[in-house]
Amino acid sequence: MAANSQRRASLSQWLTYAGLTVAGLAAAFPFVWMILSSFKTRGETLRRVFVPQAVQWDNYIVAWKEEDFSLYFENSLWIALFVVVGTMLFSLMAAYPLARMEFRGREPVFLVILATLMVPETVTMVPNFLTVSWLHRVSPIPWLNNWPALTIPFMVSAFSIFLLRQFMRGIPGELYDSARIDGAGHLRFLFKIVLPLCRAPLLTVGMFTFIGSWNALGWPLLVTNTPTWRPIAVALQKFVTEAGPEVHLQMAGAVIATIPVLVIYGLVQKEFTEGISMSGLKG
Amino acid sequence: MKNITRTGLAALLLALVFLAGCGEQEVSQRPDKVSLESIDPTGQEIVFWYQHVRAREEALQEMIAQFNADNPHRIQLRGEFAGSYGDIYNKMVVGLQGGSVPDLLVAYQGQALEYYMADGIVDLRPYITSETWGLSQAEEADFVQAFMRQDRIRGGVQIGLPPNRSIEVIYYNVDWLHELGADGPPQTWDEFARLCRAARDTPFSGNLNKQRSLGFILDEDASRLASMVFSRGGNFLNAAGDAYTLDTPEATASLRLMKELVADGSVELMGERYGDQTAFVVGECLLILRSTSGLPFVKDGVEAGADFDWDVAPPPRTTQEPVVNFYGASISVGRTTPERQLAAWLFLKWFTEPEQQARWVKASNYFPARLSTGDLLEAHFEANPRYRKAYALLDYGTSEPAVAGYDGVRRMIAQAVVKVMQGGDIGPTLQRLQREANATLEEY
Repeated sequence: MAANSQRRASLSQWLTYAGLTVAGLAAAFPFVWMILSSFKTRGETLRRVFVPQAVQWDNYIVAWKEEDFSLYFENSLWIALFVVVGTMLFSLMAAYPLARMEFRGREPVFLVILATLMVPETVTMVPNFLTVSWLHRVSPIPWLNNWPALTIPFMVSAFSIFLLRQFMRGIPGELYDSARIDGAGHLRFLFKIVLPLCRAPLLTVGMFTFIGSWNALGWPLLVTNTPTWRPIAVALQKFVTEAGPEVHLQMAGAVIATIPVLVIYGLVQKEFTEGISMSGLKG
Repeated sequence: MKNITRTGLAALLLALVFLAGCGEQEVSQRPDKVSLESIDPTGQEIVFWYQHVRAREEALQEMIAQFNADNPHRIQLRGEFAGSYGDIYNKMVVGLQGGSVPDLLVAYQGQALEYYMADGIVDLRPYITSETWGLSQAEEADFVQAFMRQDRIRGGVQIGLPPNRSIEVIYYNVDWLHELGADGPPQTWDEFARLCRAARDTPFSGNLNKQRSLGFILDEDASRLASMVFSRGGNFLNAAGDAYTLDTPEATASLRLMKELVADGSVELMGERYGDQTAFVVGECLLILRSTSGLPFVKDGVEAGADFDWDVAPPPRTTQEPVVNFYGASISVGRTTPERQLAAWLFLKWFTEPEQQARWVKASNYFPARLSTGDLLEAHFEANPRYRKAYALLDYGTSEPAVAGYDGVRRMIAQAVVKVMQGGDIGPTLQRLQREANATLEEY
């Protein structure tokens, strides 16, 4: 009887592993295809050869040089850095009162913030552009074709506020009481006590924000006209001509563009998983 | 609380008034209030939004640099890649709300019409006919009139000037046709169907993917269906230009044939972007229907792929003469200031001169919009015989509707094609398509 149940458990474990392996391979396949394609000749991409006969390192050099990738890459790094830092700071400061402070209208304010998650980006594009254009005219720093238009509108994220608020609600009230006895106000409590505790969800917010910023294409095209501040997604788009795509170069460019995301994910992987589970987002 | 609300509302209103005021500053002086002949474009700095990338962009930038260096008015043009046609449209729609538009932009006719209706671009007719800045009668007559008409709307308003065009042709694998016992491309749709079935049954000897052998790959794009309909004597718009004619015997016959061929496995619906070109160059597909702007891509692709002899021809037809679908975006002049508008026009005029056209054609492989450019292209014709062959078909061109909202209708057509190929009934699908397409005309 015991042996039977052990066998059943073992079988179910094997099935689970098999399922996960298949899912893992399915998830990895596009990346493998992208990497392999980046080393192919044009003919091999057309013939849909899976593995290139000879590795074409040149594709990376051509992709990097022909579309001035170094400039776009640097732009993307700066834009992502500004957006990540801004989002972390403002989300933290918005989430704290919604989680820890008592004031009239707190729940409605939170609901309104959440409701903005339901509004598609295309709907907000025109008002955002109008606002940015106006700020471009009245501000001492030009906004259009410059970093402010690419970063400042994205420094507040309803999702990040929600994620951090959920986490902060789990911080014991006793901590705040003790801090108050020691003479700390809300700000000091936030930055001295809550901030270190929020490391995992904050890094999760940072990771999501980084990916969103790194992959942005529509808005940057709208608010920039020259390569001066354009991100890497614009450079990738240039490998698809009207007559057809240059898949090998496009994939080499895509690999280059993916590297920072993978590196950052590798660095914060543990905190990312922790942040998701601690904020109650895990299924 | 009430006070706070009132203060807040007042602040919001003030902000809106201020915003509206800022928008007003951007509205330009209308050129009809200023005599065009007396405007001085000297020293204007203008911007051109285009969609070209890679070799075409390089060539265009070189030409812009030449214009900047040589023009006597010291006009300085900055060419800017603004994304795809769709991205430019989005930028323009948003820009129109904010009151800022570029001086020059690439636009399809339907898009340009929308911009014109929103006061975002200007009528070029006064510039064309201007004694000081315009075109001579001979120069205007030198433009392919069918191209010019595409950009002309009611009242003779010219909403753009064509710098180039492409046509849709059949690309065919000559070697495979010989293997199938045919001595040329299909002349009729019946012959087309017979060859597609033969190609399904007898793969090309040079096919690099032996598992797949097709006669044709159907791209659901509206222009493909338009080509098929035109070649049967039909059209997408009635003669008055005020109603779509999508539920017609020609459209029905086109879809019925494709549906039959898809059902018997000799034709496939395209599954990936440019999938038909890719299948053609590796010898999997006998025929494709594509723009001539893809000629260099196919040439390079075949050389890197199955390396066979290939050529181009007009689509099969039921009409006496061949009919080809020609299309291409034109260049419009944004409504800015009279000086900038004139500067933009002067670039456009320069860009469409035969010498510049010849240079642009060689770099882009588009067809020129000026007839006399042909005289300057002998060497190019010599080096590109397929281009010459396609160029000779320009006289047989007809075009898709140049009406506002056609972009949306194109998407509806593509959806209808997919629906039919996936088993939908042709009659009801076309009836609904026509109804919905005509409803878009009422919106404008």
